[in-house]
Amino acid sequence: MLELRSLTKKFDRTIAVNKLDLACKQNEFLVIFGPAGAGKSTTLRLIAGILEPDSGEVYFNGANLKNVPPERRNMSMAFENYALYSHLSVYENLAFPLRAKKFNDQDIRTRVQEMAAILQISELLERRPGFLSGGQRQRVALGRALIRDAAVYLLDEPISHLDAKLRNRMRGELKAVCAHKEATVVHVTHDYREAMALSDRMTVLNKGRIMQLGSPDDVFHRPANEFVAGFVGDPPMSFVDAEYIEQNEKPQFRLAQKDMHIPAHAEIRAYVKENGLPKSFKIGVRAKDIAITSSQDDIHHVAAEVFVTEKMGYQNILIAHIGQTQIRVITPPKVAFNSQDTVWLNLDESNVHVFADGNAVLHPKREIKLSTNSI
Amino acid sequence: MPNGKIFTMADLVRYALVIALLIFFLFPIYWMITTSFKAPGDILTRPPKWIFTPTLENYVYAFEEANFGLFIKNTLIVSVVSTIFVIILGAFGSYSFARYNIGKGHLMFFILTTRMMPIIAVIIPYFVIFKTIGRTTIGELLWLGLDRQGTLVICYTMFNLPFAIWLMHSFFQDIPKELEDSARLDGYSRFQVFRRVVLPLAAPGIAVTSIFCLLFSWNEFLFAFLLTRADARTITVGVAGFWTQRGILWGPLAAAATVCVVPMLIFALILQRYIARGLTFGAVRG
Repeated sequence: MLELRSLTKKFDRTIAVNKLDLACKQNEFLVIFGPAGAGKSTTLRLIAGILEPDSGEVYFNGANLKNVPPERRNMSMAFENYALYSHLSVYENLAFPLRAKKFNDQDIRTRVQEMAAILQISELLERRPGFLSGGQRQRVALGRALIRDAAVYLLDEPISHLDAKLRNRMRGELKAVCAHKEATVVHVTHDYREAMALSDRMTVLNKGRIMQLGSPDDVFHRPANEFVAGFVGDPPMSFVDAEYIEQNEKPQFRLAQKDMHIPAHAEIRAYVKENGLPKSFKIGVRAKDIAITSSQDDIHHVAAEVFVTEKMGYQNILIAHIGQTQIRVITPPKVAFNSQDTVWLNLDESNVHVFADGNAVLHPKREIKLSTNSI
Repeated sequence: MPNGKIFTMADLVRYALVIALLIFFLFPIYWMITTSFKAPGDILTRPPKWIFTPTLENYVYAFEEANFGLFIKNTLIVSVVSTIFVIILGAFGSYSFARYNIGKGHLMFFILTTRMMPIIAVIIPYFVIFKTIGRTTIGELLWLGLDRQGTLVICYTMFNLPFAIWLMHSFFQDIPKELEDSARLDGYSRFQVFRRVVLPLAAPGIAVTSIFCLLFSWNEFLFAFLLTRADARTITVGVAGFWTQRGILWGPLAAAATVCVVPMLIFALILQRYIARGLTFGAVRG
């Protein structure tokens, strides 16, 4: 229903959004996720009609929105810097979009109070935005975006400035409100937890281009390329340079820094046969997928030197070096190693992603465990 | 004094300087006001009379003989109407300069340059122009021509507009563009956004600009002196009118000048907080 076709926007010489093709379905919660300067907010503004694209079009239900001014697009937006009307009270800020649609005072009052209750700002309604904290302002901004029934809700980092506790709660509330409204949402964020938690589908943006578009599950477990793999997740995926060799007819990866081999999957051999050797292979592995022991055995055969351990309470994050490469491993809270200890890691096809020249060629096969008697 | 200390030398010097400055600036006003209440015999005495019996005869003379009420009415009409024009035109003008960067700064600078020329340089052409217009039907309908208030309204509007555009420009620039974008998305048209979001936010700036324009128009002398005779005469010219062939009528002159100054003084005092707030408007937005 909402469709971007080859959308491009330049600022001077910087290309903020580069030939973007993206579609958002009816009632879908689509998250645009990416680092600062990826063109996320610009994309949102192009959809809203605040910015005009240099080329490409935005379509809504099949109609080209070119020359349709923002006020007639029936979209509502929460701005990252809140954009509250400082001359109006919180109540009037929330009522502002409703007044444009000529709601009567009784309806306005009901809706504003409802929204204020959800956002826990009921006691702030008479205040001016200047007398609110950053988190309170952000909630007002979000409320103003959600209060009316819009065809598309555009949310630009709507909960990123809240403190951690409130953010967690608001994430749930936001999802519930949007589901209740059966809203079509395009949500911009740089927080991967937010992206994963909220989205039906998410798109990872970098330098104005789409790196991957898919379900959160896809993006997390089957990242399309090194950028996505390294950007989604906390701690981020670790990468080790690898060299492809065949020893006794067996495909192998030699880890670049040390004379270590790990077996490579048959798919890799097929890939090399078809495409030739790429300039670089990288082994990517998520911190939670690495098994670790203090002594070498058949499975744990990649040596690493412990650098530091970050204690998180519910788990430890171990940072170790394989040669010059830093690698992160999650261990149970009781398992602790000292700095400069040698540990042995399990890196094999069951838990590694393989990237050739930055693009993923192999993902670990996931076993999906379904438990019927879980809580 | 802080900490209960006695005056130090530095304090003493500081206060002496402040007092000296205050006397320097305020004495003429004091003298004007006291003179306005003195009988003719008490005014030019030597040594000056500090204590005297106050009288209202100068005010009576100014209003009854010299028709000062008409001058006040004229001045009020001219300055208020021209200020309204300036604010309406200036708000639209400076908003478009601030938001759309019309002329990339050159046009704005050009507008300011019109303010740089001395009035005396353009007053003769103006005189001729308004004299000609005054004889036409249009001139009569629009109340233009020599010795008509419309003429002064036009002159003051033209002369205050560049200043108003410059002053309001920065206030409009301080309003984040997101507010307007947001209001558009909330469903308001461009003009509604201007009226419901931009203007209220620029209100302190508009207030400051109005005050200045009002003051300029109220105090203006040269245009009024050369383009009016009797019917449209303003107070500044009226005050100068006491400089007669029979000599300077100090008492009525002081009375007229007091009447001339006091309203603006009160006005400025009332709006003082607004002016200060207006001037720091851009600095405090979070």
